Amino acid sequence: MTNPFTQPLTLTLGHLYPDQLNLYGDRGNILTLQRRCQLRGITLRVVGLGIGDALAPDEYDLLFIGGGQDKDQGPVAQDLYEIKGIGLWAAIEDDMPVLAVCGGYQLLAHYYRPADGPDMRGLGVFDAWTIHKGPQTSRCIGDVAISWNGSTLVGFENHGGRTYLGTAQPLGRVLKGYGNNAEDRTEGAVYRNAYGTYLHGSLLPKNPHFADHLLTLALRRKYGITHMSTVDEPESPDGLARADSAALHANGSSPLEMHDLEDRELLAPLDDRLEWAAHISMLERLGLHSAAAAALRSHKADPMVQRLRKAQ
Amino acid sequence: MRKQRSSRPISQEQPAPRRERKMSRTRMAGRRQENRSQRRPRPRRSSLGAGLAVIAGRTAGALSRRLHLGGGTSIAGVVAQRVYPDIVEHLAGQLEYGSVIVTGTNGKTTTSSFISAILRDVGLRVWRNREGSNLLRGVASALVIRALPNGRLYRSGRAISIFEIDEATLPQIVPVIRPRVAVFTNLFRDQLDRYGEVNSVVAHWQRALQSLPDDATLVLNADDPSIASLGELFPGKTLYYGIEDRSLDLLAQGTAPERHQVIDTRTCPHCDSEFVYDVRFYSHMGHYRCAQCGLSRPHPDVYATHIQSDNFDRLRVQVASQGQQREIIIPLPGLYNIYNALAAITAALALDVSWDAITSGIEQSRPVFGRGERIQAEGRTVRLLLAKNPTGFNEVLRTLFSDGIPRHVLFVLNDNIADGRDISWIWDVDFERVAGQTRTLAVAGTRALDLALRLKYAGIEQSAMSIFPPTPLRAARSEMTTRRFSYARSARRRGGAATKTARASDQEQPGIQVQQGYGLKQAIDAALSQTPAGETLFVIPTYTGLLEVHRELEQRGLTPRYWEGRDA
Repeated sequence: MTNPFTQPLTLTLGHLYPDQLNLYGDRGNILTLQRRCQLRGITLRVVGLGIGDALAPDEYDLLFIGGGQDKDQGPVAQDLYEIKGIGLWAAIEDDMPVLAVCGGYQLLAHYYRPADGPDMRGLGVFDAWTIHKGPQTSRCIGDVAISWNGSTLVGFENHGGRTYLGTAQPLGRVLKGYGNNAEDRTEGAVYRNAYGTYLHGSLLPKNPHFADHLLTLALRRKYGITHMSTVDEPESPDGLARADSAALHANGSSPLEMHDLEDRELLAPLDDRLEWAAHISMLERLGLHSAAAAALRSHKADPMVQRLRKAQ
Repeated sequence: MRKQRSSRPISQEQPAPRRERKMSRTRMAGRRQENRSQRRPRPRRSSLGAGLAVIAGRTAGALSRRLHLGGGTSIAGVVAQRVYPDIVEHLAGQLEYGSVIVTGTNGKTTTSSFISAILRDVGLRVWRNREGSNLLRGVASALVIRALPNGRLYRSGRAISIFEIDEATLPQIVPVIRPRVAVFTNLFRDQLDRYGEVNSVVAHWQRALQSLPDDATLVLNADDPSIASLGELFPGKTLYYGIEDRSLDLLAQGTAPERHQVIDTRTCPHCDSEFVYDVRFYSHMGHYRCAQCGLSRPHPDVYATHIQSDNFDRLRVQVASQGQQREIIIPLPGLYNIYNALAAITAALALDVSWDAITSGIEQSRPVFGRGERIQAEGRTVRLLLAKNPTGFNEVLRTLFSDGIPRHVLFVLNDNIADGRDISWIWDVDFERVAGQTRTLAVAGTRALDLALRLKYAGIEQSAMSIFPPTPLRAARSEMTTRRFSYARSARRRGGAATKTARASDQEQPGIQVQQGYGLKQAIDAALSQTPAGETLFVIPTYTGLLEVHRELEQRGLTPRYWEGRDA
């Protein structure tokens, strides 16, 4: 695997509340980002940010926040609001990529209203709110696939609260599963480069394109577009303007493949056959055969796969 | 209507002459069950109803077994309960020595098998619920298949039952079984989609404890904070067990501190501040205390003072209790089995069994179904090591890979309902420990691809694993068909010689070919053929994976059907 970059690149990932919010294997997201950086010669430093630690936005290039037990979520919500809130807001307004999964996603919305007890205040990054309708409504549990950016994301969801979007853009549209609230077929939320989602499983290992998308955003933000144009195919900086990945291109694949191409220039392609085999097999388990075929096609068009084929 | 018989101390029992030798070393002070029956309103006995339920249940069980619909492990109970809902209470009350229940995330089966080995050694007739039926219907089945059509238990004299109980089912079971001893092993995250979070399991248990008879004994793991805290809620007798051997501390052992540990109980149940550990054995098991409110690990009544490993599955443990110290040989590998043995020892002491019986019972116990079970196959030894949640998996991996001997390994990861549909937890397992430690490595199960991906991100080369997903990708297959190339056939052809290089398969299926074959059958074939004769293949399956591996080995005639030849 060759790294097209000559300069050593470094990124710093802030992992929020690694001890409290770690319930659903979200460590896989961190491992994936680490490994995909390592294979490309990028140094990814992971810094855990626990309760009481301040969040200085200029020290990080990427933030991750996972989900935890209800019991642990209270102190975390308080800390997030009182101690890290301002820093996190500043980072997000400054286009820092943020991935918030499950409980973390709920904490970045306006509030979480439990079945009994007082509301838990969130940061309000996403114009959305979560309501737990009590034990008589069933939890949203199961494998899930959504459309994202012309491709698909697969994962597993397990949440009791139902999230409703105000003006926030959804991350994607539910192809199979429950999504935000099992009603409007939306899943997740996006604000600038902050992504909230219920997908774990872990999310990033089986969705390498999404992992690379986050890394691309972080690299672009840190090193700027001019630096990046040193890569294989030069492209006009304007063309690289941050893609509004929030926008849903429901079926039109062309703008999305464009976006894919942009990402690839920044990051050396990797051998992702296993990742895509797992992704596609999940789509097939969910009965999404045309999506599976589409994923297979776009995977085969991948330059890395072409290179592997030529190498035979 | 027959008056309920009391459970009498073994020493007062008229022993059958041939049991006399063993009886002499036993002093089992029975708890008088009359006390209990006085307190509880006697259920209206319908022998007719119970008899009908028994007949219906046993017929259903026999049919299901005959028709190979399954092991018939729970159908008998389901049917009998339909016919007569109080059947469990009705039958359980007839056991002369009452019941012991064992619950917790990990170690239920091994602990109850230790207890039953001990009690058999004493000369009791031990009844257990069988594999996988640790819900109420499984308990019902275990009783119904031993009952007569008149609604009476067959040979209930000198009988004691040991039931392993599903964590979430406990509140339903305790009131109907009314156990004499309730053993809690440990609590870790497990099947979050089914049980919910760890804290909600604790809530279930607290509810169950309210219906536990006051004259019962609670046996609790002192080293697990959420288990130990249950003792505060119970007014009756509570015995704790734990490990005192500080050389087993994770740090003292030279285990790299960055080794990933899943910690499920971090904070004090009273004041929510974080526990401080003087010694930590694994996950949240250890000597903890709360710096804020002063809560600390209770001093155990039964504890292991020194542990020494003779070889892979022979542990020499010094166990102390009430000033006495004994050496006990545990014929199973792993620190978690020391906890299981301690739980069993403590439960046996709660039943007033003698130390001699405890020592010989544990020493003679054999690994049970899938928990270290040993099967001979084509000149190789197959060891089955069930691993169904992050902490269980971590401990199995630690046991296997801590002595630096490269192993032959087959992982089977399923996501059926009994395993939990969510497999996110594999990312919490310390598979980094496996990297570079395997001679050969095969991956199978319904989620083989996910596990292979996990292993890849743990630093294991894709070329170093053989991957056996359940079925070919349809998308890939249909694409190949259009190229007039039968992908499936080639895959089948490859199946025999699973060692063909990945390079060759790439030529056939550029882009997505990652597997060496399909299905568990081929995986077992490949894993066995990769393992040289005379060596050991370690199979590490999830729960339904274990059942499938077992079925496959049964079909090859290597092991008896699991519902036969057990509970002898």
